[in-house]
Order: sequence, then structure tokens, then C-alpha cells
Amino acid sequence: MLYWQVLINGVLLGGLYACAAIGFSVIWGVMNLINLAHGSMIILGAYITYVINSATGLDPFLTIPISGAALFLLGFMVQKYLINHVIEGSVFMTLILTFGLDLLLVNMTLLLFTADFRSITPSYAGLGWEIGTIRVPYTRLGVFFFALALTLILSLLMNRTKLGNAIKATSFDKDAAGLVGVNVFQVYAITFGLGAAMAGMAGSLISVLHSFSPVLGGTFTMKAFVIVVLGGLGSVPGAIVGGLILGITENFASVLLEAGYKDAISFILLVAILVLRPRGILGKQFFAEV
Amino acid sequence: MLAVHHLGSGYKPLQILWDIELSVQEGEWLALLGPNGAGKSTLLKTIVGLLKPFQGEIWYLGKEISALPVHEMVRLGIALVPEGRRLFAGMTVRENLMMGAFSQNDNGKITAQLQRVFDLFPVLKEREKQVVGTLSGGERQMCAIGRALMSRPKLLLVDELSLGLAPVVVDGLLETLVAIKQEGVTLLVVEQDVNTALAYADRGYVLREGRIVKSGEAKQLLEDPSIQKDYLGY
Repeated sequence: MLYWQVLINGVLLGGLYACAAIGFSVIWGVMNLINLAHGSMIILGAYITYVINSATGLDPFLTIPISGAALFLLGFMVQKYLINHVIEGSVFMTLILTFGLDLLLVNMTLLLFTADFRSITPSYAGLGWEIGTIRVPYTRLGVFFFALALTLILSLLMNRTKLGNAIKATSFDKDAAGLVGVNVFQVYAITFGLGAAMAGMAGSLISVLHSFSPVLGGTFTMKAFVIVVLGGLGSVPGAIVGGLILGITENFASVLLEAGYKDAISFILLVAILVLRPRGILGKQFFAEV
Repeated sequence: MLAVHHLGSGYKPLQILWDIELSVQEGEWLALLGPNGAGKSTLLKTIVGLLKPFQGEIWYLGKEISALPVHEMVRLGIALVPEGRRLFAGMTVRENLMMGAFSQNDNGKITAQLQRVFDLFPVLKEREKQVVGTLSGGERQMCAIGRALMSRPKLLLVDELSLGLAPVVVDGLLETLVAIKQEGVTLLVVEQDVNTALAYADRGYVLREGRIVKSGEAKQLLEDPSIQKDYLGY
């Protein structure tokens, strides 16, 4: 029975991981840009929920649109006024820029909220389903469904709308996209905004389950990195598969091995997948030659 | 329709084109000739805004367009079939063609134009649902021309029409371009084979080492013995 409980916990955590990584994946897949500030954007989303919840008592799940909108705006501006100026340059330029952005966000949140760990406890935090000896808290269940719903919405946006077509075309060939009338730099700004919004909303979800502090940003960036490489770059199903694998593996590792090995496991997975299947489990050749 | 004055362009800091003077009249077929590395593709890329000119001006329908970004050209009626086709590799033929109509908003006109493209290239209709990576070279070029036509251009620029294609396929494409021209589309075509290019064109320009060395009526150029010399670069 213990293993079933661990598996269920792993799946529920995996759904959240998928949602937390998908923005990182889309930004990387479309612009070939590794957003080192992704984890800090997640943390920022968590603090937005924290501030609203402690000021007004609004349910943390209902703050999702607010953190999403705030982070979209931040991401859009950052891409439009900063990253677009260096995106044509070398990869190192964008790495340094997003690293700088990460430092800025971390220190800003440290200044505003200190490094103390914060957490949010909704009134229903202790309640849950019990089937036999298996317990599923409502908060974990709620986080899981919101995470999947947000990921699905992003997927529909990417695959069913004109904006999604423009983003896909830009990721395949930005010059050709420009030739058919796509404003490539505008698409970049919107894509970064969407990626940031997904990070922020994932942050709101994380704040319901875990305590958080500005210093955790880097951990989330590394997890997003592992998930994206596991599942495959720029693909929504890939992020879901990668998230589930990481969530389940981490949960089993924390039961079967000593606590310290939990984080080591994700990096062993990373190395293994890079050796065995470098493009990820569901990865496509995203930057394929014609 | 299109006039290029004193144009210099290239890939910073390397200048490739020097002092280009070129004009395109409405309704004509203009051939752009020259050996490899002469700057033909650079000229087309500069006209559509993929490269920014170092000097000079580009006028289109009475408007100076050299400062405009590339995505606005298609709304003015200028479409480029780029060198190497540059199709969206992960998309189907139909999705590629529909991306060509990205700048269009009238769904009725888009559907009509899609039908027109399928009439010009019936094989694209058969391959509609196939990912473009599975197409032959000729079919890819048809898809690239079709994608450019989906924006209902007034001026169609075609780079390296025949590159890597069998002569039979090239003949078919040239005949289709004749049909496109008859509908009132002005053509500027870069083509490797001098004789083929001039057989279809009204006028031609010869580029060499980034400068225009000769221009005139296609017939005159065909009879000019120095053309072969310019073309080979000796």
C-alpha cells in the first residue's frame, strides 16, 4: 500500500512539475533561449499569491489569473525591451542576460520579503480523500487539476490559434515567418510573456503545497531543465511525460533511499537521457534541416 | 513599380552590393543573372527587408520602403520565394500554404486563393496532408511558390528557381510562372541557366561581383556574346 501512496504522490507532483516546466520548454523551443530566470519567475508568482492571500484572504487558486497576467506583462516587457536586442547574437549573450535578470529578481524578492520561508495554508488544507490507507489531500488534487488544465490551455493556444501558428512558424524558420508577414520580434515578446505567465501560475500552485523563499529559484530552474531534456524540447506532451517521470522518481527516491539522494536522482536521470536519447523521450527534431 | 537607386548592401561589416540601379515595370518578367556569389540573393533579401541597405533607396509604388521591416512587405504586395525554399519543416503542405496567407484576413479570398494554387499545382492538392519533409525537390519548390502566392502578391520575387531540380520540372515551373504573369503578377526571377532565363523574361540584368554590369531587353542580352563571359566571370 505504501508504494501506491508514493506513486499517487509522484503523479500529483509530476503534474505540477509539467506545468512549472512548460514555459521554460516553449521559450527554449521557439527562441533557442534558455531562461535562467525561470525559477525566480515561479517564486515571484508564489509571492504574488502570498501577498494577495494575506492581504485579502482570497483563495490561492483564485489568484492564478492575477499572477499569470502580472508575469505575462513582465515577460513581454523583458523580451521586448531587453532580450530582443541581443537575441540575434550569440547564445552566451542571452544566457548572461537571463542570468542577470535572475539575480535581479532574486534580490528584489529578498529585499521585499527577506529570505524567510513563507507558506500559505488554506482552510481546507487538512482535508482530503481517504481510500483504505491511501490519503489524497484536496490541495494536492486541486493543484494537479489546475496544473493539467493550464498546460492543456497552453497546448490548445499553440495548436489551434493563429497566434499559435505564428509561434510555430517562427520556431521552424524565423526568416520565412517574417516573409509571410509574421512580426517575429512581436512573436518573441508574446512567447516569452506566455512562458513567464506559465511560470507565475505554477508558482501560485506551488505556494499552496510547499513553503518557499527567494533562494529556491535556482532549484526550480534546474528541475525545469531536467524535465525539458527528459521529455523533449518545445513539446507539451514531452513536458508532461518529463514532469511525471521526475515527480514519480523523486517520490520513490525519498522513500527508498536516504533523503539526500532525492536531488541526485534527477541529475542521474538527466545524464542517462542525454546518453541514451539526447532529444528527449517525445522529442522532435525541432530545428530540423529542410 | 519597383525602383532601386544607388543601393549598397551586404552582411555587416561585409559589403556585397555596390551602387545598384534597377527598375521593374508593372506586369513584366525580369531576369536577374550572374555567377555564383555575384549578389543576386543579397539583392532580393535587401528588397524584402531581410537585410538593411547600407546606402541607397528602394522605391515601391511611389513609397520609400528600405526602412520597413520584413513582415510589412507582404502586406504591400511583395512576396519572396527564398533560396532553398525555406518551408516550415514540421508542417503539412496545407499548413504551409495557409501560413502564406497569414497577412490576409478575408477567409473567402483565402479559400479562393488556395483553390487557385491547387489549380496551378494539382500535385499539392494530392499532397495536402503530407508533412513537407516528405516532398520531392520540385514539389517543395511548388509549395514555396504556392505559399508566396497565398498572400496574393503584386510583385513576386523568385530566388534560384531551378536550383537542384531536373530540367523537366523546371520547364513545368516556368510554364506556371507564365500563367501567374498573365494574371498580372510582376516577376523578378533569379535563375542559373542564362538561356532559359532569357527565353522567358522581358528584360534582364546581369550582376557580377556585386555590381550591375549589363542590362537590357532579353532578346538583346541573348545575342550578346559577352554575356557568357560575364556569367563565367572571366
